[in-house]
Amino acid sequence: MKHRERNLFITACTLPALILFAVFALYPFGKAFVMAFYDWSGLSEHARYIGLNNFKTLWQDDIVWKALVNNLFLLLVVPVLTMGASMLFAALLTQRKIKGKKLYRTVFFFPNVLSIVVISVLWSFVYHPTFGILNSFLELIGLESWTRAWLGDSSTVLWAIAFPMIWQSIGYYMIIYIAAIEGVPTDMYEAASIDGASAFRQFRSLTFPLIWNVVRVTIVFFLIGVFNGSFAFIKVMTNAGPNHGSEVLMTYMYSQAFNNGNFGYAMAIGVFMLLITVGLALISEKLTERDSVEY
Amino acid sequence: MRRSRVGLSKWGFRQLAWVLICTVMLTACSSGSGGTPAASGGDAGSAPNEESASGGTTFENKELNIAVFEGGYGSEYWKAVIERFEADYPGVKVNMTSNPKIMDIIKPQLVAGNPPDFIYVSPDENTGTIKALVKEGALMELNDVFDGPALDSDRPLKDKLTDGLMAYMQPNGDGNIYYAPNYMSVLGMWYNKHLFETKGWEVPVTWEDFFALGEVAKAEGRALYTYQGIYPSYNESVFWPAVASAGGLEAMNKALSYEEGGFTQDAVKQVMGVFERMAQNDDVMKGTVALNHTQAQTEFLKGGALFIPNGSWFESEMADAPREEGFEFGFLGVPVFSEGDQAYVLSSFEAMYIPNKAKNPELAKEFLRYQYNDDIVQLNAEKSKGVMAVKGAVELAKDYIPASAYEAFKVYDEGALPMMVQWKQTPKSEVIINDELFNPLGDVMNKKMTADQWADKVEQASAKLRNLLNQS
Repeated sequence: MKHRERNLFITACTLPALILFAVFALYPFGKAFVMAFYDWSGLSEHARYIGLNNFKTLWQDDIVWKALVNNLFLLLVVPVLTMGASMLFAALLTQRKIKGKKLYRTVFFFPNVLSIVVISVLWSFVYHPTFGILNSFLELIGLESWTRAWLGDSSTVLWAIAFPMIWQSIGYYMIIYIAAIEGVPTDMYEAASIDGASAFRQFRSLTFPLIWNVVRVTIVFFLIGVFNGSFAFIKVMTNAGPNHGSEVLMTYMYSQAFNNGNFGYAMAIGVFMLLITVGLALISEKLTERDSVEY
Repeated sequence: MRRSRVGLSKWGFRQLAWVLICTVMLTACSSGSGGTPAASGGDAGSAPNEESASGGTTFENKELNIAVFEGGYGSEYWKAVIERFEADYPGVKVNMTSNPKIMDIIKPQLVAGNPPDFIYVSPDENTGTIKALVKEGALMELNDVFDGPALDSDRPLKDKLTDGLMAYMQPNGDGNIYYAPNYMSVLGMWYNKHLFETKGWEVPVTWEDFFALGEVAKAEGRALYTYQGIYPSYNESVFWPAVASAGGLEAMNKALSYEEGGFTQDAVKQVMGVFERMAQNDDVMKGTVALNHTQAQTEFLKGGALFIPNGSWFESEMADAPREEGFEFGFLGVPVFSEGDQAYVLSSFEAMYIPNKAKNPELAKEFLRYQYNDDIVQLNAEKSKGVMAVKGAVELAKDYIPASAYEAFKVYDEGALPMMVQWKQTPKSEVIINDELFNPLGDVMNKKMTADQWADKVEQASAKLRNLLNQS
């Protein structure tokens, strides 16, 4: 009796969310998957089934592979640097006696509350070839030969896009890591310092293993965040240029769907992206499989 | 103590949960009903036939839904013309939707097969919707409108239009007219008239003159050329006229219809060579490739470069931008390869369309014809400060448009021939040919690609489309 009531209650609680999820996530998802097998402009009610043709095109489309390489570059560079920097700041702001800790936390977190479009516009002025602060600074310190059109050069454009992405997300991950580090019981550190462990040693042998579970979660966040988040940065800063130099799968999918009226193909790119994200999530899961230490 | 607290919170939680569920359900329901468009004027067809005939025509369905793009020309004109139309056709009601993102707004209606009766937007609008509608065959054929008489004369309506324009109103090139042109623009290179006059520089006629100015400019700390870096397709207003001038319109059409060797032919390679030469000479403003259109145009106004490509809307577009002292807009057009060559200047048009599934096509066609009445063209110039694609419209608009725009239109009186760019329609493909053509320009400007490599690359993309055309 009691059991039944409880089940009913649980069902009632989960049902609304389930319905919303089904209508707004599962249905469009399934629909996108199906449309990948159609020749459809996104406008008419007539869609022609063409089997795997969209995927065949995709396989032979140079731009897709170029975009994928760019995606992978960002997926490697942005998470690694963001994780390193935010972990460093988190460790410093929790372990050390630093004046104005609260101020730093706010300052580091600040970029995260700005809109991505605002950040992109801001940074496109930082990189502005004639009056941008970066080139002006290089000229000031006598490195004039280093100045360049950062966003217009295919050899620097990806780094120039990665940097604002890192800058924007450091604060967010720093807060997560700080919360995790603060959860570690202080008596362990006391014991460690009595044993004569240095601050670095404490971080390596105590803090890091103890917050490993949180780090694992953030790695998945990184992958998804970079995959999806790069779109707005690129759209505003370079419009995927120069000559597809900063094209990623997301921007390519967008231009196929909304500039080229080729929805079916765009959905095929979407499915391809889905496979990659799922693949990456599984790989990262495997790579980071390691018993977390309990305390 | 602990027990009772848990019990209490459990009660509270349960009630809260139900409240939440109800709220969520309600929101879901209300958003659901909000999603279905209020069927506005869908079933107005039962309006009785009225006797009061205007111009001898009556319309059973007196409701017209129009969707207009609200861009540089604003929506003032559309409000005014609706007022006149409703006065001239008693009982007619025109509902207008106007928005800078009009295609995003009407897209759901188009997909649902419930389109507006009349659409105004550029055929090159950035969502590609109009092009897609053409491919889908979802636009109404307008041949009868243009072959039939105009509302205020006995001559065919097409006689009113600017010469040579009708050919471009058939996007499939098969004689079926789907576009009804309204606003015209002229595109080409611009310079600072004041600067040229005070320095005593001659406006370049040939590309040699142009490059000679490069040295002069460098001595002044200016660059010769800049363009809207991350949107390199602005260069089409230099590229295609130069191709036409070098090889005639046939050469240009050979490329635009993906014929074999279209992009490796001499005329095209010569023009690509001009861009390569600009890069090799460092004639292009430093950092151009990384700038967006506003940034590049502002740099130009501030004196960073002598020339920039843009359209006759330039002065209005940059009305509030900072500029160097005495700056005055001057329109150059495009240089030719050797003196005496025929110069071409690109024009572009915006257009009006009637979807095949329009609920009231007869009234929509009447509204379309009405746009070309002499007094309405005048009204248009006055309210929108735009130039309609009809004969004599430039003079009509003279008092309302910036002097530089008027001057730009005048190039056609000074010997330059008008031309337009229209890629041949192909079946659906992943190749966005205009991007394939202009995107490599960034690499050319960075000296990472030669003109020959550029030509080969575009030729490859063109070949893909050629194969598609041959298959279909």
